[in-house]
Amino acid sequence: MFITKKHLSRRTVLRGAIGAAVSLPLLDAMVPAASAAPPAQLRFGAIYVPNGIRPEIFTPVSVGKLELPPLLERFVPLRQHINIVTGLRAPDPFGHHVIGSLWLSGGSAKQTQAADVRAGQTIDQRIADVIGRDTPLRSLELGIEGINSSSNSCQFGWSCLYLNTLSWQTATQPLPNEVNPQSAFERLFGDIGSAEERAARLKSKASILDSVIEATSRLNSKLAPQDRSTVNEYLENIREVESRIQTSGKRAAAVGDTPDAPAGIPATYDEHVRVMYDLIALAWRADITRVSTFMKGVEASSIGYPQIGVPESHHIVSHHGNVPETMKKYAKINAYHLSLFGDFVEKLRATPDGNGTLLDHSLVMYGSGMGNGDQHDQRKIPIVLAGAAGGRLKGGRHIAVAEATPLANLIAGLGDVTGLDVGKLENATGRVEL
Amino acid sequence: MKLRSLKRCVAFAIAPIAAASLMACTRSTEQVAAEHGAIVSKYCTECHSDAEREAGLVLEKPDLVNLSAQRAQWEKVVHKLKAGLMPPPGEPRPSNEVVANLVSYLETSLDGSAPKPAGAPIRRLTRAAYGNAVRDLLGFPVDVEALLPPDITSNGFDNVSDTLKTSPLLLERYLTVGLRVAGMALGDTNLGPQATEYRPRLDLSQNEWVEGLPYGTRGGLVVEHYFPTDAEYEIRPQLWRATGSTVRGVEGFKTPFELQILIDGVVVHSAQIGGADDDALSNRDIGSAVTQVGERLPVRLPVSAGLHTVGVTFVMKSFALQQKILDPTEADLPIGNDAYGWPMITRALVAGPYASTGSGDTPTRRAIFTCQPDGSTRDAACAEQILGQFALRAYGRPLNERDRETLRDLYTRGSENGKNFEAGIQLGLARVLSGPEFLLYHGVTEDGAAAEGSSQDDGVTLASRLALFLWNSIPDDALREDAIAGRLADPKVLETQVRRLLADSRAETLVTDFAEQWLQLRLVNSKSPDPRRFPSFDDNLRRDMLHETEMFLHSVLLDDKSVLDLLRADYTFVNERLAEHYGIDGVFGDAFRRVTLRDPNRRGLLGQGSILFQTSVASRTSPVFRGKWILTNIFNSPPPPPPANVPALEESIAGNAPHSVRERLEQHRKAPVCAACHSVIDPPGLALENFDPIGRWRETDSGQPVDAKTTLPGGIAISGPSGLREALVNRPELFSSTFTEKLMTYALGRRLEAEDMPAVRGIVREAARDDYRFSAIVLGIVRSAQFQQKARLPTSAAQTVADNGAPAASTGDSQ
Repeated sequence: MFITKKHLSRRTVLRGAIGAAVSLPLLDAMVPAASAAPPAQLRFGAIYVPNGIRPEIFTPVSVGKLELPPLLERFVPLRQHINIVTGLRAPDPFGHHVIGSLWLSGGSAKQTQAADVRAGQTIDQRIADVIGRDTPLRSLELGIEGINSSSNSCQFGWSCLYLNTLSWQTATQPLPNEVNPQSAFERLFGDIGSAEERAARLKSKASILDSVIEATSRLNSKLAPQDRSTVNEYLENIREVESRIQTSGKRAAAVGDTPDAPAGIPATYDEHVRVMYDLIALAWRADITRVSTFMKGVEASSIGYPQIGVPESHHIVSHHGNVPETMKKYAKINAYHLSLFGDFVEKLRATPDGNGTLLDHSLVMYGSGMGNGDQHDQRKIPIVLAGAAGGRLKGGRHIAVAEATPLANLIAGLGDVTGLDVGKLENATGRVEL
Repeated sequence: MKLRSLKRCVAFAIAPIAAASLMACTRSTEQVAAEHGAIVSKYCTECHSDAEREAGLVLEKPDLVNLSAQRAQWEKVVHKLKAGLMPPPGEPRPSNEVVANLVSYLETSLDGSAPKPAGAPIRRLTRAAYGNAVRDLLGFPVDVEALLPPDITSNGFDNVSDTLKTSPLLLERYLTVGLRVAGMALGDTNLGPQATEYRPRLDLSQNEWVEGLPYGTRGGLVVEHYFPTDAEYEIRPQLWRATGSTVRGVEGFKTPFELQILIDGVVVHSAQIGGADDDALSNRDIGSAVTQVGERLPVRLPVSAGLHTVGVTFVMKSFALQQKILDPTEADLPIGNDAYGWPMITRALVAGPYASTGSGDTPTRRAIFTCQPDGSTRDAACAEQILGQFALRAYGRPLNERDRETLRDLYTRGSENGKNFEAGIQLGLARVLSGPEFLLYHGVTEDGAAAEGSSQDDGVTLASRLALFLWNSIPDDALREDAIAGRLADPKVLETQVRRLLADSRAETLVTDFAEQWLQLRLVNSKSPDPRRFPSFDDNLRRDMLHETEMFLHSVLLDDKSVLDLLRADYTFVNERLAEHYGIDGVFGDAFRRVTLRDPNRRGLLGQGSILFQTSVASRTSPVFRGKWILTNIFNSPPPPPPANVPALEESIAGNAPHSVRERLEQHRKAPVCAACHSVIDPPGLALENFDPIGRWRETDSGQPVDAKTTLPGGIAISGPSGLREALVNRPELFSSTFTEKLMTYALGRRLEAEDMPAVRGIVREAARDDYRFSAIVLGIVRSAQFQQKARLPTSAAQTVADNGAPAASTGDSQ
């Protein structure tokens, strides 16, 4: 990690005992003072882990007041700030292929390998439509792996896009995950460097965008209507870039000089996940974006976890076949993911925001699209809700819904909590009262 | 109608089953069709009935007269029959002669009625293609993997136009990268610093010499890095340190280690790690030791602009000092809290430029500045010349007046009306590198794209397609000039260009992009075997396996051999380590060399560690994965996904079950719901059971003799790897057809449809005359109507057909 900005401290910082062995920036120390958020804006986050968690070890024994099972030990000090929701059923189709893409909508997807991918608009994007409009970045989508680095199972007539996506801006527009913290950082701050340098670069970008938009519009007007889809999509996206750049420009003066970005993709999974969580907290704290999603592995991920003594592929381990030793490894991975999430929640709690903490003003949904991964079981999927959503969500509860309640009902319930009128959602049969 | 049926009879007469077919000639087309229909009804419709609809296929009351009405369905039938996958094992099946007769009838009929196929859609440059194109344009490598988001794979390849979507994130990155690359090319002294990270894999042994570094060193890494300006740069190595523990090498050694940083082979910095003082400090206070050692490692120094090699390594010490020398394992892995081996490098960052002093005199700058500004009114014309030349190369087509206007405008803005010449050029270059003319519809003019379907391909888009296919980059001057002059319409010129492109080093992308994606070799890097069961496995071995397969693919494809050699070649490439792994004697040293394989089991791709390892799981082989790999990549028949709520394969058997993998699988197959698919998937995988999870030969599995006897789809009994290979090579059209389909998918950037299969068969038939030589298949694809057809922007036209039930008007689809 380099601190390139001249007047910031050049010292790097070592993480604590739980942290990675490598020095990392204390990103939150770098939030420019001028950019403190206006008070009490809602933040929404969604954190996805692939390959499921066995309901037997996730479900609290009693309903109502939350009693944490051993798997959730990390949350003992945070018990009052989370709720566990159990009993939900993920939407069809069964298996790894699309469940990530449907996790935040509860809807359905079109089986295709072609360009005509389609899944429901996800709740984070519905929320971003409302609270993301006046921030520099409408929403931030982060990931850990690119699809090509992991599993090859996106072939049964399902586009790899489904496996690799959590967030859908519209039914036909999946939002790719940024896996490189440095790139994510540059997006958050528009660019890096001094205010002057950034202003110059923004001006260059604006000139190029002008010229590109003009050339593309000219082409678009000449094409037959059905030939326009690709060019149209390009044009819409490039306009979106233009509006982002403009907002960044407006903000440039307020943000002042930025800290440097983390360099490249971290060497270890642990470090990579932590820096991504840090980036979300940083973005929320500086009010650069209020909506963030994070896939801690693509669905069916085959990442191995040697750092916790499970070097085997996550996906393979999830097919434990009821072999006790393998089930133990599977649980170890689940607990590891949960403890990383716990550290993030802890960080939100420790971050002042307006008249409270970031956690007070956040709603973060954590979980997976499967229960028992061994059978790709779409019933009893694990869900943790963290944060008080600005006082609209009471914590410390185990909310057990009737068995096989559609996931869409929870999504509708999240709409209620965030003050959104989601209307009748696909596959919903009602709404989970939160 | 009469004429057509007569033609069919002639076609039949030259088919292998001439006698039966000649008899058919005496009957009407309808009668012949009815006879074949009776075979289909007898053997297929029990499952593929209106009621059962197995695999979504209905063959009840088949109409074999008018096959093209259900072209997709019949192509599926042809495919399954040729591969011997249908009827499934255990069901009654007709004789091979009857099947061949039916296949021949179906193929002839489908080929005779082939409609005009779709062409290659215009597609966005992939990340890899963008990197190659920028390298070819500017002469320096750009780390696209760090700078740009990855592309999504579809149908096995990342260049399929359908999924090459754009998004704001992607376009924003291309814009940022375009600006940065333009600044790097010109050596902009205002360029902000950026850190590039290089890292060896954690399980690469660093106790040995690394190729590219001086002898007498051990471990580390060497990279070629582009330094954009004359400036200071920081090179910061980082050393392995186990969680909560000290830096490796700091404790437990009386004599220190020496780390060296080299630029172009010259030592520019050295640092000591370990020794008595460090040892004492670390024992007292780990944190301080880690910090102090860390502060010694980096160096900041002036470097001149241009490409330089950067090396970070250790001075070799006597092996007598290495604690692990008595360790029985070959691997040297930093597992868990193993903090006491030799120090090893986990990554090296190269950051800069800081305090640039000048743009330097780089080959890149010399190539860009074909004229020099003199502060006069002629500067604008000079800028136009420079940018016009660059855009011509980047777009791969002649510029029109609007292109020039755009570039003039950017120059004016960037230079602030001519005040700053280089800033104007830089903005112009950035515009070219991030604009749609380069990224989205390369080689196509706006007018060309708009006039889609109404004009002949002018050769320019063909050249772009050719360069993307064979180089995964953009055309060079020679190709572009032939294209602009219209010379590619001459088949001789086209063939000469294809052969020239194939002979160029850039054709290596056919190995690194096409073949590695087809064979899923990238999986090798994402897998690790259980270190307790395979302590000898490390990244050195993983790299060796990949290197072997790369060299092997190169030797078959780029030395223009028969593609069947991929399965049957009696040679491979190994170094000492890999030779030992395979049990081959007489190979010494780290360098790879070609060896003749005396053991027939080892021959071809199916005997190579890269394939055998990627199809295993951490602790054992997986005949299921291996069978699936063979079905997918050799038969082009990927098996369907496991059905809902069935216990996972193999692992579902508890500890007291039989031991060998084969026995576990056999138990699994007893469940009828599993057997349906696994009786097809497992057998080819079982034939490879003699290879262990990391590709070593074995005679026993869990103490029992390996049983590699099995029966392939179609009832062919085989034994062991060489038996499998012979069976596959005996049906050359099967593998060569799969190869052609995969290569054509890659070449066109779209998936193949039923309408394309007649062309595939034509290419395979033609290539068969030349023993399936690689260039024969490449030329067949290049000459196909699919590849030659004028490019079109990908549209939703196909969907419109489906939605309206009628072809979309005036798109040129049906020209």
